[in-house]
Amino acid sequence: MKAAEKSLQQSYRLRQLLIHLMPLAALAILLAALCWAVTSKGYRLDIYLNIVFNEAVVLAVVATGAVFIYTLGSFDISLGASTLFSATLGVMTYNATQSLPLMLLVILVTAIGCSLLSSLLASVFHIPVFVTTVAMMSVLSAIAAQIITKNGGALGGISIPSDLLRPLDTPWFKVVILAAFVALSIFIFSFTKVGRRQKFLGGNPVCAQLTGIDLNRYTIIAFVMAGLGVGLGAFLTLIYTPSVTTGTASSIGMNIIVAIVFGGMPISGGPNSKIYSALVGGFSYILLNNTLKILIDGNTGYGVSQIVSAIFFLAVVYVTSINYRTKLLPR
Amino acid sequence: MNTNQLSWKELGRRSGGALMIPCAFAVILLTLCAVNGRAMIANQTSFYNFVVYTAIVMVTTMALSINLNSGRFDFSLGAMAILSSVVSAKITFALLGGGAGSAPCMLLFNVIVGALLGLLSGTLYVVLRIPPIITSLGVTLIFEGITYTITGGRYVMQEVQNASMSGFIGTWVYAFLIIVAVLALTVLIFDHTKFGYDYKALREGQKVAVNTGVREVPNALGCYAICGALMGVVGFLNTARNTNINGGNLNFGSISIMFTAFLPMFIGSYIGRYVNEKLGFLLAALCMSMLNSTFAVFSNELNASTQSIINAVLLVLFLIYLSNEGALRRFLRPVRKNASTEVRA
Amino acid sequence: MMKKSMKKLFALLLASALILSVFAGCSGKSTENSADPANSPAGGNEEQSQAPAPANEKPIKIGVLVADVSGEEALGFRNYYENYIAKNYNVELLYTEQLTDAAGERSAIERFAAQGCQAIISFSSSDRAMQVETCAQNKLFYAVASGMLDDEQYETYKTNEWFVGQVGPSMETEFEAGYAMGKYFADKGAKTIAMYGAFIPNPMHVYRAAGVIAGMGATYGGASDMGAIVGQIFGDQGVDPSKVSGGSVELVSYFQGYGETTTDELNAAIQAQPDAFLSVGMATTFFTQQLNTAGIEFSDIDSFTSGNQAAMTDGKLVYLAGKYSSSIGPIFAAVVDAVNGNPIRGEGGTAISVSQSYLVATDTASFDKYYSADQGDSPIYNKELLDTMIGDSVTYADFQAFVEADRS
Repeated sequence: MKAAEKSLQQSYRLRQLLIHLMPLAALAILLAALCWAVTSKGYRLDIYLNIVFNEAVVLAVVATGAVFIYTLGSFDISLGASTLFSATLGVMTYNATQSLPLMLLVILVTAIGCSLLSSLLASVFHIPVFVTTVAMMSVLSAIAAQIITKNGGALGGISIPSDLLRPLDTPWFKVVILAAFVALSIFIFSFTKVGRRQKFLGGNPVCAQLTGIDLNRYTIIAFVMAGLGVGLGAFLTLIYTPSVTTGTASSIGMNIIVAIVFGGMPISGGPNSKIYSALVGGFSYILLNNTLKILIDGNTGYGVSQIVSAIFFLAVVYVTSINYRTKLLPR
Repeated sequence: MNTNQLSWKELGRRSGGALMIPCAFAVILLTLCAVNGRAMIANQTSFYNFVVYTAIVMVTTMALSINLNSGRFDFSLGAMAILSSVVSAKITFALLGGGAGSAPCMLLFNVIVGALLGLLSGTLYVVLRIPPIITSLGVTLIFEGITYTITGGRYVMQEVQNASMSGFIGTWVYAFLIIVAVLALTVLIFDHTKFGYDYKALREGQKVAVNTGVREVPNALGCYAICGALMGVVGFLNTARNTNINGGNLNFGSISIMFTAFLPMFIGSYIGRYVNEKLGFLLAALCMSMLNSTFAVFSNELNASTQSIINAVLLVLFLIYLSNEGALRRFLRPVRKNASTEVRA
Repeated sequence: MMKKSMKKLFALLLASALILSVFAGCSGKSTENSADPANSPAGGNEEQSQAPAPANEKPIKIGVLVADVSGEEALGFRNYYENYIAKNYNVELLYTEQLTDAAGERSAIERFAAQGCQAIISFSSSDRAMQVETCAQNKLFYAVASGMLDDEQYETYKTNEWFVGQVGPSMETEFEAGYAMGKYFADKGAKTIAMYGAFIPNPMHVYRAAGVIAGMGATYGGASDMGAIVGQIFGDQGVDPSKVSGGSVELVSYFQGYGETTTDELNAAIQAQPDAFLSVGMATTFFTQQLNTAGIEFSDIDSFTSGNQAAMTDGKLVYLAGKYSSSIGPIFAAVVDAVNGNPIRGEGGTAISVSQSYLVATDTASFDKYYSADQGDSPIYNKELLDTMIGDSVTYADFQAFVEADRS
């Protein structure tokens, strides 16, 4: 009887391990798939890895900050617009002052400010966070568009001198930024009471508040961290391309949600939230898209590759969410 | 709601409550137009457009609210409307070649294809048992991908530009009939059938409802199918109005259609305190249509960015009011008391 | 415990592998780049200029950047490259998906470099300066088709050895296209017009709209010269009808963009009963049916397509300024020359910069002439013509004369 129980426990543990390893396994498989696809077509792997890294690093940084919001069971759809808005004000500031430190400061302050405004509207006026962020998305992208089109003139966009940030356009610098931000996030999330309480609030808000945890306080902290991620993402965007157009960062907003879930974190947040989900998911999603673009050619291929990408996404989420299944349909 | 049992006072209160916001919109916007020497609805065609836009907003809001009220967030509504229109346009054109009867035929196919797409989306949700918001992200990408593959990313124009379609949009009658039919059907389905009672039970208390024997899966599938059918109607109306379908949306390019329905949904839910919620959605759609017509009147002064900002600010202001109604009343009450005391003194 | 440590170890290994591979990749010399001639703008294979090349010879790989995947004009261009050029020359053309921002443009160029492309032809304009620089970094030839860099940008990059050049309507040409359209209706005796500003503040549309106002004989905010009108339209983010004055034609209605209010705005424009509806782009895609039904004569700056032919034959389209689909043929020839080591350079080694004008059709006969002259297998810039520009003896003057010649 005991042996049977032990074997059952072991098989359960193994299953859990496999489920938890699934996002990482998906990342490894996707990396291998990209390498295979690139080499089998005779393309240059070094450039492809560089492209994937440059695309994924911005997504991973912004998504890492967003994990704090998602942990609370909320979600923010305005992060892409916020990235655009911060980059826009950053460029405007540099063009007015020629000061790089001031530009960076404005980018970070703007991003954190936008995020704080969302959280204040939500916590002070008790508006659902999601709806606040929908409104913020409209407002921020509309204001950014006004600034860009008014100042971009015949160029259609605004820009800083192309050689200003070029020395920073190296994998080393970007890795340092990514690693520093991920380390900071992990520290706050896993080694301070902030992360623990946020998970508690996300898992059971009523119970958490009854124990004296201040929801507003931790919501504000979550949004500040997300704002920091957005600011760094905007800065990395400018390092990659020194110009801002109305389409800049347009896909980040939705890709963050996909990345976080792809990385194995439940959308409902709570105790199963993980910082590394954003990192793993962000890189996985970009790897998947690039691999499919290589494998599926032609104009209509973009539609087909999006379909395949979506099916793969649903499959990974299905497997990683086996632990969270309930008898009732999830909401 | 049985009006026979309502006192005149209660009827007045309800009517007043329901009409308060639409009347406020009408007074403010009409005044704004009049002050600037313009008319919100200048002519017959403006009126036709007004009715069509009202139908679009009302049906979209209903589709959004059906699942959202049950805690199921659905990003795929826009993709569903576009894909159902593309498929229906192609089928209709293949059958009738743009000849007589194209519009009703396309509308019929839109509803059928939309319902099937909704059912597919719902099936994925109940089979995978992952949160609906996640399923809807995947479904959106799939539907957008299919649309792009069918159209090659092009605008669909030839299939939808014909006399039948322009005839449909060249009068207010058809759009009005759609409003009436959708309103009647949704009221019937959600307020007068077992499906509707189950839906409400599941909405208010999922666990209790399931424990008492309500079958959640068929109900959820039904909701998704109805949402799909409604978005099929929206897709048809948008096609008739725009005379083309944009087949080039990829990477969540189709989700903006959903955001336009947030404000009317909240306004409709507020009005729903006084009358049937579905009627509330119609009244809210009227408000949005008035706002849209006013934006059109002032399009030279208010560009698209400014219009987005105004819509967003209205949404936030309305939600601030809704979420703090009690506090506002408490805040205003002593002022009223003080005022009456002063009058007495 | 074991589970946690295994996971961490796996994650660490994976992250390290990914990052190391990125560094390893970046330290690789980009001069390894694919086909030999592309590695040096000067060192090419002269024999390769004879096209089509033998079947066993490696095709020239060209990446094409596109921002518009659904417009009639863009599809016409693509059709010409894919179905005529690719069949008649030993080339492989790779297309991007719809590019919406500068980051997308940069990664697309890098992706093409990784795929062994030797040149890039750009139809995307989020950040053309960055495109030139990225191409130079990746040792790819770069050319702008159907458009032009800003004057200042051209001055900066005109001597860059990887910048092949630009052929397309300059902003002055866009202004002139608008001017000719405005003047046509003024001369025709139109007293009132409605105007669609398409996607202002898109620079192309701003210049066209400014041209229309000037062509009507009117001033904008008191200004009548191109620079001043254009500057004001950028500032206003559109055309403000109250600032249009003078001239014999009155602007009775104006709208732009495409969204929720467009149908109402079009209706308002129709109700103003203008003598003509002037569009600076996309009207034939969006409004043909409504304008035909309303019986209002309209004009557009678009392309010579079957849809527009029907609108001119059976509808109310009376003026169309357009490019024919094969107008992007000359820049292809210039790119082939550059890849083959025979770059066409101007005085002082400058890149090509030739402005291409629009063709104007005002009746079915003229429309049909342009439309039928530029069909599938028999485009205006056919292989016979293009071959005259491919070789080691083609000069800048030859090329300029070739592009500017009247092919109608």
